[in-house]
Parts: sequence; C-alpha cells; structure tokens
Amino acid sequence: MSSAYYGQFGGQYVSESLMNTLKELETAFEEAIQDQSFIEEYHYYLKEYVGRETPLYLAKRLTEKYGPKIYLKREDLNHTGAHKINNVIGQILLAKRMGKTKVIAETGAGQHGVATATGAALFGMECTVYMGSEDIERQHLNVMRMEMLGAKVVSVQSGSNTLKDATNEAIRTWAKKAEDTFYVIGSAVGPHPYPKMVKEFQKIISVEAKRQFLEMEGRLPEVVMACVGGGSNSIGMFADFLEEKEVELIGVEAAGLGIETGKHASAMALGRPGTLHGMKSYLLQDDDGNVQLAHSISAGLDYPGVGPEHAYLKETGRVQYVSITDEEAMDALSELCRMEGIIPAIESAHALAYAFKKAKTMKKEEAILLCLSGRGDKDAHTIEAYFSGKGYLN
Amino acid sequence: MKNRIEEKLKMVKEKQEKAFITYMTAGLPDMEGCKQLIKAQEEAGTDILELGIPFSDPVADGPVIQAASYKSISRGTNLKNSLELVETVRKEGCDIPIVFMMYFNTILYFGIGNFVNACAKAGVDGLIVPDLPFEEQKQLQDELDKNQQSPILIQLVSPVSKDRIPMLLENARGFVYCVSSMGVTGQAAEFHKDVLNYLTEVKKVSKIPVMMGFGIRTPKDVLPMKEVIDGCIVGSHFINLLEEHQYDVNAAKEYCSSFRKELNDR
Repeated sequence: MSSAYYGQFGGQYVSESLMNTLKELETAFEEAIQDQSFIEEYHYYLKEYVGRETPLYLAKRLTEKYGPKIYLKREDLNHTGAHKINNVIGQILLAKRMGKTKVIAETGAGQHGVATATGAALFGMECTVYMGSEDIERQHLNVMRMEMLGAKVVSVQSGSNTLKDATNEAIRTWAKKAEDTFYVIGSAVGPHPYPKMVKEFQKIISVEAKRQFLEMEGRLPEVVMACVGGGSNSIGMFADFLEEKEVELIGVEAAGLGIETGKHASAMALGRPGTLHGMKSYLLQDDDGNVQLAHSISAGLDYPGVGPEHAYLKETGRVQYVSITDEEAMDALSELCRMEGIIPAIESAHALAYAFKKAKTMKKEEAILLCLSGRGDKDAHTIEAYFSGKGYLN
Repeated sequence: MKNRIEEKLKMVKEKQEKAFITYMTAGLPDMEGCKQLIKAQEEAGTDILELGIPFSDPVADGPVIQAASYKSISRGTNLKNSLELVETVRKEGCDIPIVFMMYFNTILYFGIGNFVNACAKAGVDGLIVPDLPFEEQKQLQDELDKNQQSPILIQLVSPVSKDRIPMLLENARGFVYCVSSMGVTGQAAEFHKDVLNYLTEVKKVSKIPVMMGFGIRTPKDVLPMKEVIDGCIVGSHFINLLEEHQYDVNAAKEYCSSFRKELNDR
C-alpha cells in the first residue's frame, strides 16, 4: 500500500498537471515537519498569535444534569473563532518556506476563508478565496471579514454554487497557477498529502486535550467525540487517541432534516466510495454517480464527502460515526448557551447533541471529552432565523 | 485486435496528414441530435471524436464544457444512455473512432469491470480520464487488459510533466494528449511559454502520434508547432460553435471539414 492511501481510501485523483506539484508539496512538507526550527515557529505562532493552549473546561451544570463528566476542548477560543486557524498557520508557514507568494483557499461557511485571509495578512501574502455565490449570500458577515483582512473573495457560479463548487474552482485555479500559488485546503480532504498535512497541523487539539485531561483526572477519558464535515477538527481531536484502544472515539455527522429524508450531509451513513476533490472516500451520489448535494443547517458540515482517513477509521471500526439532525443540534446549542454561557458554532453543537444522548448510557464517574470546534457568532443570523421560525423567540 | 483509433491514425500518417479531433458533450442537443452530429462529423472528415460524458464536478474543465455538462445532465444524459448512443451509431454503420472523456467517479460508480465490458460491447475505442493520473490507473488498466476489445486508455501529458514523460509514454497507445497550456480546457490561445520545446520533447520520446489540445480555435493557432505535432484537438471552441448554431449539423460539418482541410494545406 502506498503512503498516499488509508486502506482503499485517499490517493491522488488529480490531473497530470498537478502531479509534480503534489510531489513537490509532499517533499517540502515531510522536510518541514522534521525541521525543529519549522516546528518551533509553528508553535510560536500558535501560542503568541492564536492564543493556545486552549482551555479544557469541565462543563459543570451539564455534568450535573447528564451524569458523566462533560469536558469541552475550547477551540472556540482560538483567534478567528475556530480550530481552522491551527492548520492555516501550518500551511502558510509551509507556503512561505516553499517560496510561494500567493495563497488560495475554498470556503463554505467562511471560517476557513477568514482563517486563511488572517494568515495571509499575518505573513504578507496575496490571498484569494473561492466561495459559492449561494454561500456568499448566506454568510455575508464572513465575506466582509475576509475583505477587511485584504483578501479577494471570488464568487463561484458553477454547479450548485456552494462549497463543493468553490473547491472545484480552487483546484482549477491551482492547476493553472501552482508555480507561485499555494492552495491552503481547510479540511482533512483533498489529494495526498493534504489529509495527512491537515491532521498534522490539527493534532495539537488532542495532544493538548490528552495532557490536560490526564492532569485533571489522572487517567484517559472513556469517550472522545467531535463533529465531522470534511473532518478536520475531528481528525485533530482523534489523532493522539487513536492508539489508546480503550478510548471510544465518536464522529458526529450532520443528519440535516433526517437521514431518511435524503436532505442530509452524512457521507458515512449513506455514501458510497467515490472520487471527488482529488481523493477516494465516502461520497453522497445519485444513481448516475453524480455528486449529490448535502444538506445541513450548519454550513461547515454541508459537504457531500468526508476525509479519507475517516472513511478508513469507519471501515476498520476504530471510530464510530453517528449523525444528528438540525433540530437536535439546535436544541443542544440552545442548552449550552443557557447552561454554560457559551454560544457554540452550529457545527460543534452536533457533537454536543450526541454527547447528551451518549451520556445517558454512561456512568457518573466516567467522562466525555468533546471538541467544541468553534464559536457561534458567525451563526447568529441562522440561529435567529431558526428559532424565530420555530416560535422559540418572542 | 484492431482498434479504430490506431487504424485511423495509421492511415493519417501514411497520407502524411495531420489528424483533426473534436470534443463534444454527449446528449446535446439531445440524444438524436447528438447522433446526427457524430455521423455528420464522420462525413466531414473528423478523424477522432471525443464524447464527453457529463459529470457533476468537472474539475479539469473550463466554463464552456462545465456549462455543457450541467445542461446535458439536466436533459437526462448519463453513462448508460451514452453507451447506448455509441452502440446505436455503430449499428447504423458509423465507424468514426470514439473516445469517451469522463471523470473517474462515473466509472467507479458503474463498476470498473462492467464499464470496460460495456465499452467493448458498444464500440468505444478510447478513454480519457483527466482525474486519473498515471499512478492511479492500475485498477482500470488491469480490467482493460482482460478484454482484447477494450478501449485504449489515452495518456495526458502537461507542460510541467517533464521527468514524468518517459514513464507516462512507456506503454501508451493510440495517441498522446498534450495539454498545451496549464490548467483547464478552453482558455485563450496564449500557449504556455515553452510550449514548442515541450512538444518537441514529447515528440522525441513518443512512439505514437502526438496531439495537442486545450484552447485551440483555428488551424492558425497550431501553425507554429505544426511540424512537431501529429494533429490537434478542438473542444471548448467547438462547443461554443455548436451552441451558436443551435447544434446545426451543417454548421458542424462546415467547421470540421474546413478546419481539417486548412490544417493539411501545404
């Protein structure tokens, strides 16, 4: 098996014109992570600029209500509001090291776009972000933030005008401009070495969380969980626990309006292996093998595929993948706001909703460690529209 | 076993001519109209026809072919009825070499073994799969090798392939598809700065005909490299032309026959 693969998943399903680019990237990445000065620089920026390490917070009132201890890894407290920045810092430092002067990125909800625009501003690079025209409408605030940070936001009108099409357009641009342009992929997806690279730059989440948990509890948690769209916060959250076989790992996908309605984003639940965006993984497809649109109230989970290592972890049974509907996620979001004073991203609320379910099957002395991947400020409009539509407000 | 692509290119070479290859999206304007266009092109002297099987995420294509793909999908085109289209034109006596240009997911979903058998049965002569680079071809190639009537998997070469060229061409059959510019199909005819050197390099290594594609509109576009290449491929521009003329058969015929004639003017 080649190192480009996780079991049957992964690979490099890209055009011939990108093959040398990927090879160059792989070589540069492997050298960089062996280079102490690179690693030091990465950690320097994570500490001084991003504000790491992030706290591991014992959610006391939730714990009282549900039984087992519920610990939140507070990635929402990172600069720019989510875990995305961890990976962006790593990739942009690599881009700089490779002598690239421009970066491009795709974005759905805009979080990765904002993080990339931030990193580009920090290191004085030219930044272009591809975003579906539909998402531009839905996430106006993040478009403004990217523009304030000096990035150019390109509206993609192709296909479904959402994240998957923005990714296609970023890949097309990259194929043309790879000589001076670095493509910063935000999720644990894409052709090798991207999934590996994103994991490497997100694994800080579990490295910290494991140490923090050990310090507080003197043992490992029973359950570790995170939400899964493409799978970057979850692969980071699982990374340092994969070898700890006694720790149960759970990935939570978006069930949208319910798996049975067909309007969902659970590639693992109903997807078949397929190829998209340079990788082979589980993919939502129609009867002709065309990629199906995902649906989730959370823009960050609204993706028809999933990172190849997750597909492999599902196949081997090391991680269990479950799903949570829009409604369940929104209820959990509301509960975290009111009981702990934390407004989570709708993405992270999916993990939280499953934690509440899971807690009912666990003992009081056990513990759940959950990645609170981002904060909900960006979702204020969606949250308002959802609750007012449901009559929860007024 | 004889393959229509290899046979045709042998003839073209014997006549010391340059080959003319077109690309069009399967199922446009509809299946019947597409069938007429295939036949018309054979009459017009087009040497090889690439038929694009539409896919929802055509990442190697520019806006023109993307739009054509979405339109065709919305009209119900899929791999199954595209194969039926080829089977029908073959039954009706049309012998033009046909190459499917398609994305790997379409094949994977259909089942690789099923797909290869269906192509052989329908009379598909070649495959271009732009998101299946050499390193990922083994599974498909192994299936193709099982059946003597299988289509040929055409190799693509890009201006940045460089040290990869000998590996790509070692067992290549049919023709080599040289991408003339970086990126996607259908860009303006600003060819890559070192395009002539690059084509010369490919030609030196290649045992089979070398075709240039991406961004070609008129025979004049290929004039500077005419001595090096064995033919050229017109895709996006041809689709634009078909759109402009509402897929009129005579317009297609006229364009193809005059292009081929001018390409071979001495």
